[in-house]
Amino acid sequence: MFGLKHFLSRPGSKLSPDVQDAVEAWRASPPPQLDDAHFHVRYVVIDIVSSGLRPDSDTLLGIAAVGVQQAGMVVPEDAFYLDFASLAGDSDAADRQLLAFLQFLAKAPLVTYHVPYVGGFLQRAYKESLGIDFQPQWVDLAWLLPSLFEEKSHTPQPLDHWLELFGLGGSSEGRRDAMDNTLLLARIFQMLLVRATGKAIDTAARLVAESQASSFLRRHH
Amino acid sequence: MSLRQEGRRRVAGNTLAFLKNHAPFNKMKAEALQFFADKAQLVFHPAGSEIVGPAAGNVRYFYLIESGKVQARQAGEVTVTEYSILSLGAGESFPIGAVTAGRPSTNLYTAVDDVFCYQLPAEDFLKLMASSPEFNLFCTQYIASLLDQSRRQLQLQFAQRASEQQTLNSPLAGIGSRSPVSVTPETPVRRALETMSQAGVGSLVIVGEDRRPVGVFTRSDLLDRVVLADLSHSAPISQAMSTSPFMLEEHATAYDAMLAMATNGIRHVLVTDAEGKLTGVVSERDLFALQRVGLRQIRQSIEGAHDVASLQQSAADVRQLAFNMLAQGVGAEQLTQFISALNDALTRRVIQLNLERHNFDGIEWAWLAFGSEGRDEQTFSTDQDNGIVFVCNDAAALDAMRQRFLNFALGVNQDLDRCGFPLCKGNIMASNPQWCLTLEEWKDQFASWVRVPQPEALLNATIFFDFRPLFGKAELAEAMRRHLLAQTSSSPMFLRAMAHNALDVEPPLGKIRDFLTDLEPDQPGKIDLKKYGSRIFVDVARIYALATGVHNTNSVQRLRLAAKRLSIRDDEVNAILEGLDFIQLLRLQHQYLEGEPGKQGDNLINPDSLNELDRRILKESFRQARKIQTRLKLDYQVN
Repeated sequence: MFGLKHFLSRPGSKLSPDVQDAVEAWRASPPPQLDDAHFHVRYVVIDIVSSGLRPDSDTLLGIAAVGVQQAGMVVPEDAFYLDFASLAGDSDAADRQLLAFLQFLAKAPLVTYHVPYVGGFLQRAYKESLGIDFQPQWVDLAWLLPSLFEEKSHTPQPLDHWLELFGLGGSSEGRRDAMDNTLLLARIFQMLLVRATGKAIDTAARLVAESQASSFLRRHH
Repeated sequence: MSLRQEGRRRVAGNTLAFLKNHAPFNKMKAEALQFFADKAQLVFHPAGSEIVGPAAGNVRYFYLIESGKVQARQAGEVTVTEYSILSLGAGESFPIGAVTAGRPSTNLYTAVDDVFCYQLPAEDFLKLMASSPEFNLFCTQYIASLLDQSRRQLQLQFAQRASEQQTLNSPLAGIGSRSPVSVTPETPVRRALETMSQAGVGSLVIVGEDRRPVGVFTRSDLLDRVVLADLSHSAPISQAMSTSPFMLEEHATAYDAMLAMATNGIRHVLVTDAEGKLTGVVSERDLFALQRVGLRQIRQSIEGAHDVASLQQSAADVRQLAFNMLAQGVGAEQLTQFISALNDALTRRVIQLNLERHNFDGIEWAWLAFGSEGRDEQTFSTDQDNGIVFVCNDAAALDAMRQRFLNFALGVNQDLDRCGFPLCKGNIMASNPQWCLTLEEWKDQFASWVRVPQPEALLNATIFFDFRPLFGKAELAEAMRRHLLAQTSSSPMFLRAMAHNALDVEPPLGKIRDFLTDLEPDQPGKIDLKKYGSRIFVDVARIYALATGVHNTNSVQRLRLAAKRLSIRDDEVNAILEGLDFIQLLRLQHQYLEGEPGKQGDNLINPDSLNELDRRILKESFRQARKIQTRLKLDYQVN
């Protein structure tokens, strides 16, 4: 959907005025306090569906997200699911849906598995549609898990392997959809929050910093 | 639909998939289920953490375990601490009572390992209770609703098996003996005959090393080909067998076998697999068993039987009919009573047939049943427990009279054995002079057990105090009962000793695992449902019956009547009786589904082989056993 072709075919990049206003309102909204205890912070766990693995050339097809509140509670009302395929190429509708997702996020820290992949697709989508440089606070499970759950594995593993290690692999008979995946990530994150707090990583700011540090260390050493 | 609604729908869908696998949710209407899924929050509780307890104030959530184990521990000062811990697993919920009443939980719930729970806010829980009758029933009558569901499942399972068994279209693979007695062609005739004799069979299959049948040897061959042909007993059996036996493959139907028997004039058909290897034998009798038999027919044939051979046939029919009744979902209480009733009729007929050779005119006497038979609680594999009471006013004639009764009893015991009630290993039978007593001797015997409650006396009490007259003068048994109850209700020491004994065995509930399955050293992984299940209820029922002067011997009736006299609440008693009923049903089911036809079934079940629902009910049933034990403990101050 958000491919180069789509971008080029778009006459100018004018947004509807109401969308433009809403984007401005979002920009002006204050970010949540991240140096509070996990209990007071709302995280959003997210997974995407794409046509391939390369954010700069493949297409973003869908987003599934759930909020994790009060240090580990998944509430069905705090969930979001976006399927671009249902829009049949209507770019204004796509803009509005991406805007709705921004509003759902409310600048909360984002949790996913492998930020370069998920973040890459989102960044391009927001740049091409709403003209936003999408730079949320990321928590990357791919790098945090080996540093916080060393006893399970001290090296990065494919997600399915982690699910096995956490005993969450059994229920995944057949193909999982994006929301199933997100809920599995949310479970791992619920467990991770407990572990992190035990290691004095007790605020969102520290968790984000730990995520950055672990991915930096892993990649450069 | 907004993107958030779509998100919620999908999260709820994930929850629904879980709910659909667990009772009572799998029986709830779609709307109620959707409501639960829309409102339930998923929360993680790390191992060792407290989930909810008395200190947390009024309970705010109804918890449903998604994965992991939770331990419930009674908080506060508790005298019987070892009874107050239990463990809950996936699909189980808590604290139902507290969240319904909007009060703090009396138990402390702790995560044993990493636990995920769905939590439903209390207000949504109450709404769900108001809108879903199934959920309401589950919360208010926990065991009853689960039992009902399990019984329906069981019915289905049996119905399937019954229809498989009972049509002539069913494949031979499921009919007749699955482990026929066989020998190799080189086996000497003497050895072959010994094998037949030991196995108690009338025919042998002769198979080659590749397990392919090469011949059959039957009793009639013995006469024609061994005795009359003057064949040496050391000759190989191949010289005496009938060659080229009639065989059918396993997937052939009962109808094929019946046709083959009719056309070839044979009584047995060998069953082989696709490679021609022997897998079973089907007899004429097996095929007759496929046709349904009715209660009335059985009674008529029992009452009209002129010899033990026709009673043997009736005994087999009783089993078949009992099976049909299980298939129709008849409960354990009715079923065991029904089996007892027919077995009573059978025993009476055996007694009558034997009386044709003995004359006790002018003597007052009665045939007594003890143990499970005395309690009307017979399952499919029950051995004999019986005795005789008679009146003899002439001391000089006593020995001679007793001898006459013993001779008569020996015949009855042997005939009963032939009808499928094995002789009692402990020799608790009327043919044992110890248990063929006059009324006065019985009274003295009972009195001495009550007076000196030593281990052996207590053991005897558990068997002999459950007596019932089967034949003869019932008043004699009534006199024994009045005497016994007068003795026991005035002997608190005896009852206390009985209570002590009854508390020796505890229900096999684990503190962390669901069940303890290592109590029987030679049966790892299994639970003896009699020893650790029904016997606990039976023992407690007996004590309360003796204490409150209840004349009945049946445990269910004993508990019901004793509870009334002790003012125990109805719902409490019903839960206990349902627990007993379920354990009995599992025993019957096990003996029927897993026991080999014609063989003594056991009471050993592997809880892992039960479905989730039955496991939960079994756990709950054991909790009920624990509950009445706790009560007994308090009532008799046993520590």
